[in-house]
Amino acid sequence: MAIYFLPNERRVNWLARLAGGYNLFIPVKAGNGVHWQRFDKEKVDLDSLALKEIRAAEPIKSFLFSPRERVALFPEPLEEPADGNPALLLGVKGCDLRGLAVHQKMFLEGEFADPFYSKRVKETVLIAADCPEPKDSCFCNLVGLKPYAVDGVDLVLSVIDEGWLVEVVSERGAKLIEGENWQPAAERQINKRDGQRQQAEGVLQQRNPKPLNPNLPQVIAERTNDEKFWAEAAKDCVECFGCLMTCPTCFCFLLYDQAKGDKVERTKVWDACYMAMYARVGGGANPRAKFLKRFINRFHCKFMHGKNQHGFYFCSGCGRCFTACMGKIDIRDILGRL
Amino acid sequence: MNNPYQPIPTKILDVIEETPNIRTLVLKPEKQIPFLAGQFVELTIPGFGEAPFTPSSSHFEREVLEMTIMRVGRATGALFTKKPGDLLGIRGPYGKPYPLKEFEGRDIYIVGGGVGLAPLRALFLALVHEINKYGKIFLRYGARTPKDIVYKKQLKEWEKIKKVDIDLSVDSADEPWERKVGVVTCLMDEIPCDVKKSVAVVCGPPIMMKFVTKKLLEAGFPGKSIYLSMEMNMSCGLGQCGHCRLGPYFTCKDGPVLTWEQIKDIEEPFL
Repeated sequence: MAIYFLPNERRVNWLARLAGGYNLFIPVKAGNGVHWQRFDKEKVDLDSLALKEIRAAEPIKSFLFSPRERVALFPEPLEEPADGNPALLLGVKGCDLRGLAVHQKMFLEGEFADPFYSKRVKETVLIAADCPEPKDSCFCNLVGLKPYAVDGVDLVLSVIDEGWLVEVVSERGAKLIEGENWQPAAERQINKRDGQRQQAEGVLQQRNPKPLNPNLPQVIAERTNDEKFWAEAAKDCVECFGCLMTCPTCFCFLLYDQAKGDKVERTKVWDACYMAMYARVGGGANPRAKFLKRFINRFHCKFMHGKNQHGFYFCSGCGRCFTACMGKIDIRDILGRL
Repeated sequence: MNNPYQPIPTKILDVIEETPNIRTLVLKPEKQIPFLAGQFVELTIPGFGEAPFTPSSSHFEREVLEMTIMRVGRATGALFTKKPGDLLGIRGPYGKPYPLKEFEGRDIYIVGGGVGLAPLRALFLALVHEINKYGKIFLRYGARTPKDIVYKKQLKEWEKIKKVDIDLSVDSADEPWERKVGVVTCLMDEIPCDVKKSVAVVCGPPIMMKFVTKKLLEAGFPGKSIYLSMEMNMSCGLGQCGHCRLGPYFTCKDGPVLTWEQIKDIEEPFL
């Protein structure tokens, strides 16, 4: 696929051009981390733009699988959502795409596709940015990912000293670079990008040298009843659900109804399988009343059923779960012992 | 927009008192719900939310649906305040129906407990509608007391159908009762069909499901011929929200009826 180069001095122009057609969101350095922010062409600060840094604190699912969304009205049905200015996310990381893959499996590929998610996924433009500087919390190499994207997006951007490179992935991506002075990248520039990528892979390999057990799903199945193991793994958990609420692959949701006058409004919100009442049935029985069962269920979902049924772990190696964890439970330690 | 979260307005035509805490709602949805026996729907109780129920009427009659409901919690409590003429919502059908094609030519041994007879009635009515396709139909049904028996009049009618064999029990008889007294497994000491070739279908409270399954296995039914209605928190019905996970399955999508063969390795499948 074609690779183009844009010199540093042209970057602002291009961003402003993108913001003209889309709701452009960019990752920026703020506090100790990186957060998504709407691009404001009146206040451009390229120094805070965090394209080389690791993923933002917020997973990109926040833009696609809405944390809170009205999905039905009753008795008169909900009207078709209006066409707004679609979002463009510039700076999506390779690990973010694992979440996207999980949600597409869950929300689009079954018998019933979610029309709200489907619309947003189709409309939203994704520009990936390489991860040349993995941090201690990164372990995408253990779950079969690389610190850069190759597909599943519209463009893949790489930062090099003299400017930006983009590799065109989709037709929509090709249109995004029209009209700006993108030049075919020189071989030297592509070599530079490839070198950075290799270096990042080396760093990840050095940090996380021990691969996951190749029989992980089988091992988890066999250790399901090993209460001692799981109790030890979960001993510092305070059940804050931070791990699940920041997880880019978690897909659970709750539907609830509220009376609004003589109408009913149905809302869909993110849910978490750690919640005590999560699996409780109408009559009061609860298959996972004990927290330990819920803790194990998370590993079943992400590392057993996901892999067995869809061929990949429902984990992106992003490290958000233990970055958010008050008990500092590092999922890599648990996986490493399985 | 094809919105799977959108319920279809549904009028309550009638409310039939089955037992002191079980009622059958007769419902007429604005649009037909193309369900097959074994599938379920999500019923919207305006202002209260949704809960999953399996139609108890025949899938050969879809203009009007019946749902037999026991008062157990918040949603069913709210349903018990509803009267003919009130509005509910329905979306569905969801899940997999009973594989009737696979039942053809075989004897069918149905075991129900309490309100568990509701989904089994949809199956039973579908079977008798085309009774020549199947072998004999055995129905074994147990309730707590004679008062707790649902479909009392219909059970008497069903007993007259050729090729249908019905036996009933109650856990305790506090009024004159001519049939057996004991939990439903007391009706299963002799199973009058060729267990290797027949199909068993079970629905009832979890403890009953557990012991009936045990009895069926001991009698020699293969695990793949035992069909069990699994109770899980089926919330979205679409196989997406995660709440009804049962081992590798989403009960709403892969069930709610699963065979013993499918669930035998799951720790405590019956709640």
